Amino acid sequence: MTEQEIIQLTNQVFEESFEIEKELLKPETNIFEDLGLDSLDVVDLVVALQEKFGVKIRNDERIKNIRSLGDIYNFIFKLKEEH
Amino acid sequence: MKDFFKLFIFNLIFYSFFITFSAFGIPFLALIIAFQAPFISHRKAMKKFRRAIAWYGIGVCRILPFPFVRISYKDFETSINHPGPFIFICNHRSASDPFLMAYLPYEEVIQVVNIWPFKIPVLGFAAKCAGYLSVREMAFEDFVKKTIGHLNDGISIAAFPEGTRSADGSVGQFHSSIFRVALKSGYPIVPICITGNENIPARGTLLLKPGVIKIHKLNSITYDKYKDFSPYKLKNQIRSIMMDHIKIMENKRDA
Repeated sequence: MTEQEIIQLTNQVFEESFEIEKELLKPETNIFEDLGLDSLDVVDLVVALQEKFGVKIRNDERIKNIRSLGDIYNFIFKLKEEH
Repeated sequence: MKDFFKLFIFNLIFYSFFITFSAFGIPFLALIIAFQAPFISHRKAMKKFRRAIAWYGIGVCRILPFPFVRISYKDFETSINHPGPFIFICNHRSASDPFLMAYLPYEEVIQVVNIWPFKIPVLGFAAKCAGYLSVREMAFEDFVKKTIGHLNDGISIAAFPEGTRSADGSVGQFHSSIFRVALKSGYPIVPICITGNENIPARGTLLLKPGVIKIHKLNSITYDKYKDFSPYKLKNQIRSIMMDHIKIMENKRDA
């Protein structure tokens, strides 16, 4: 899976599960301050990402460091590389 | 100089009465209810504690600061005549917001609060006895169970989903907990917009400034209108409705 595909699929998760407009989905967008996600929304996000990418990330400690969309892209990319 | 003197007199009078009223009024009311509690049902005792807090709220927000602070309450409900219970969603600018909930024309309202109100001497005890929910000290599942339990018992819930007071008057991002409760329980959501109390007192200070506090109760949003929303979409939809109405309240947008 290429980096571009990961970005595209991650953005799809935000568009489909949270109905967030495409224009807001930039690597520097802070998912808490700019998009208004809270800890419970992050649980929904994790479930949606797991389904989209077919990976298990729920117990991954690295999730706690995620702040921006760019962090999510990098996290998924690393996860895909590890598998 | 005249304004400074007016402000000084206002604060002097208010705080003199406020300290006296808080030091004696709330312990007195709490004691009366505590003595009655063994002889009445738990629910009735909780109701009495809530009523005591509401009286205290009216005393502190309406009577003590009068005529320097005036309160205007408007009900904009036009769509339904639902008997309740409701899930009230309020914006949060001032420490006085929870006391202003006493203006809602519903006797049975439990508030979802942060940790700090429970730490206020006596009043915190009364809040606990009134069944107020300290959302940060509860597991989410417990919060959902207790909140839905209260709603099913006919008690409305009031929540401040920003979680903390806004420092600049803007409406902060909403936490989704209470909206998840709404989606699970199906009770109507009622946005409550409060303006004018951001300086009564402002965050980080105790200085009160004269002004008019406006409380607007907006149209109920019934379950059929939000049942297909995700919690994220629901919280942002309600936030957007409130932000638009607050702009009108502050004359920043035409009605």
